[in-house]
Amino acid sequence: MDPGMDFSGPQWTANEVQLGTTIMAVEFDGGVVMGADSRTSTGNYVSNRASNKITALTDNVYICRSGSAADTQTISDYVRYFLNQHVVEKGAPADVKTAANLVKQMAYQNKNNLQAGMIVAGWDKHLGGQVYGIPLGGTLLRLPFTIGGSGSSYIYGFCDQAYKEKMTQQECEDFVIKAVSLAMARDGSSGGVIRTATITEKGVERKMIPGDKLPLWFEEIPVEPGFRPFAKPAEEATTAA
Amino acid sequence: MDKGPHGHVERPSWSPYDNNGGTAVAVAGEDYCVIAADTRMSTGFSILTRDHTKLFKVSDKCVLASAGFQADAKTLQKTLDARHQQYQHKHNKEISCPAMAQLLSNTLYYKRFFPYYTFNLLGGLDNEGKGCVYTYDAIGSYERTGYSCQGSGQQLVMPVLDNQLKSASPLVLPAVSSATPLSEAEAMDLIKDTFASAGERDIYTGDAVEIIIINRKGIRKEVLPLKKD
Amino acid sequence: MAAVMVEEAAGFSFDLCRRNASLDKLGIKPPNVRKTGTTIVGVVYKDGVVLGADTRATEGDIVCDKNCEKIHYIAPNIWCCGAGTAADTENVTGMISSTLELHRYSTGRRSRVVTALTLLKEHLFKYQGHVSAALVLGGVDNTGPHLHTVYPHGSTDTLPYATMGSGSLAAMAVFEAKYKENLTREEAIDLVASAIKAGIFNDLGSGSNVDVCVITKDGKEMLRNFETPNPRTYNRSKGYVFPRGHTPVLSSSVKKLGDLVTVEDASPAAGELEAMEVDQKP
Repeated sequence: MDPGMDFSGPQWTANEVQLGTTIMAVEFDGGVVMGADSRTSTGNYVSNRASNKITALTDNVYICRSGSAADTQTISDYVRYFLNQHVVEKGAPADVKTAANLVKQMAYQNKNNLQAGMIVAGWDKHLGGQVYGIPLGGTLLRLPFTIGGSGSSYIYGFCDQAYKEKMTQQECEDFVIKAVSLAMARDGSSGGVIRTATITEKGVERKMIPGDKLPLWFEEIPVEPGFRPFAKPAEEATTAA
Repeated sequence: MDKGPHGHVERPSWSPYDNNGGTAVAVAGEDYCVIAADTRMSTGFSILTRDHTKLFKVSDKCVLASAGFQADAKTLQKTLDARHQQYQHKHNKEISCPAMAQLLSNTLYYKRFFPYYTFNLLGGLDNEGKGCVYTYDAIGSYERTGYSCQGSGQQLVMPVLDNQLKSASPLVLPAVSSATPLSEAEAMDLIKDTFASAGERDIYTGDAVEIIIINRKGIRKEVLPLKKD
Repeated sequence: MAAVMVEEAAGFSFDLCRRNASLDKLGIKPPNVRKTGTTIVGVVYKDGVVLGADTRATEGDIVCDKNCEKIHYIAPNIWCCGAGTAADTENVTGMISSTLELHRYSTGRRSRVVTALTLLKEHLFKYQGHVSAALVLGGVDNTGPHLHTVYPHGSTDTLPYATMGSGSLAAMAVFEAKYKENLTREEAIDLVASAIKAGIFNDLGSGSNVDVCVITKDGKEMLRNFETPNPRTYNRSKGYVFPRGHTPVLSSSVKKLGDLVTVEDASPAAGELEAMEVDQKP
């Protein structure tokens, strides 16, 4: 019998939590912008609609996570631990490259047991804003911009067309929101809100764009004016996590 | 098993069957028959409806209870109803319960190699007005008994019925009546308690139990609510 | 007495893995484990956290415990609802609560929810999902109220309201419809109870009663069987009384044990008593 037809017991424990995702990071003149949707699913079920896939590694380096939630959380926990130790020894902020290298090391050496596609980005005084892509096998690539997760395949064309060198911060943030919202519109495993992190010399600025404030694309239906899924103050509640 | 074009054994990735659960119980006495089934219909860990009757009135003296796969049960009921119509046109009378019992067996065995996934009980009064219960497997093997139980709660309920009602073997000589010694009220009392108990431990039994009582006065129905969890 | 004591290794014993693999090859089925189809939930409110759980435990399609406890102790200020394999949820919460207790003795500080969360996720990740515990972890510590979910593979979420188990979809539907920020204690308990009831009535893996646990900075209140919405609907008037002699005696035989054993005087000899006294000296 088909495993799906086996009713001998609950099977929901067997499904691993997946970050069916859209993530991206883009360099601009003076820093980087990172962006991600907020959907976490177990099979067909959205187990967290307000998750945070942009995680801090140090004050000036962040990581975008896609793939298995357990694997990427574990990797970033380890890297954060090692990197903070490194920062204390060094007595100066970590280089983005060092952080990316640590993530790569974890991803490459344990490639047979991991399902993790990650983007490391941040700012340091040597190379300014930097973006590093670390896809499935543990490759490490420095790129002016990169996209990842299941939703990324829908927006390669758009990103190739719309990316410009030396964008301003505002242009770059607009580009990220446009790209991630386009992916969220087409990819069933991406959705919710958009979270961004802009990292510059001055530090990190984090933003959240609620689902009903996102740009609408082809055939998308606007939220009815005045519609709130919750009673009044709850709008932020679900997205604050 | 056939080898597919890729060299390995291929099986369909879907099943033509589902199990919608449910329990049916029937008890026959000297001059009555009580047949009951719960009204929960479920699949997997979900309830599809809390109000689905598993009982089908074939005639004034004959009621069928089917647990298992609802779609097959429905098809079976329609087939039997059509055959009963034909019978009535031909013989100008309602079919007797023992005759319907044989017809049900034939209908089930007709699909020996693609069976109806149903577990049936047929209850009613025989030609002498005596209570009768027929119990089946999915492919038409059947037996006349004094009481029986089918469906998801069978393993829980059957030992209780055996303990309370155990009767002489139908093979004993001289023949002993197959009916149970209970009065109609006692049988109702036992059946209601049986379903309340099955509802405590079997996740597919619950919501309500429909009880049909057939005696010489006619046929009537009672409904007892059960736990809804 | 052997002089050498072999120290037991920590962790699981995998001694029987090879035997079990060969039994599996012979087509022998391993024993069924108690997997609790479950509804468990939690919500953060103004002054703390409210956890909730149903009380049904199942083995396949049979209910094996109608009133079990699924809200486990982690620390006086941290409690944890468990879904999945009962043995895993009970043991994993037990291990972490013992680790935290030792940690409290050594630091003299109240346990934090993140500490419990990290210990849990590290353990579950190590076993790659084979320890099937799905948890809703809630508590109040020096940094305020916290609510997390933990999945069997070791991933965690931080949420204002959370559900887990086979009834999680039914319960989440209630939260998504009725949740608001800054709930009062009574509102939070009501919301949790109705979410659990959604699981109890709509998920066959969940059932029986509602357990609730309220945790605030001042302590916890366990509301065991807060609601009992599933009373039995019928009882047989006669009951099931079996009079003496109901079971027929077919034959009987009595064997006197005294004939089979020799009784010896076991009072200690004078010398042995002295030896015992010597042993008892510190």
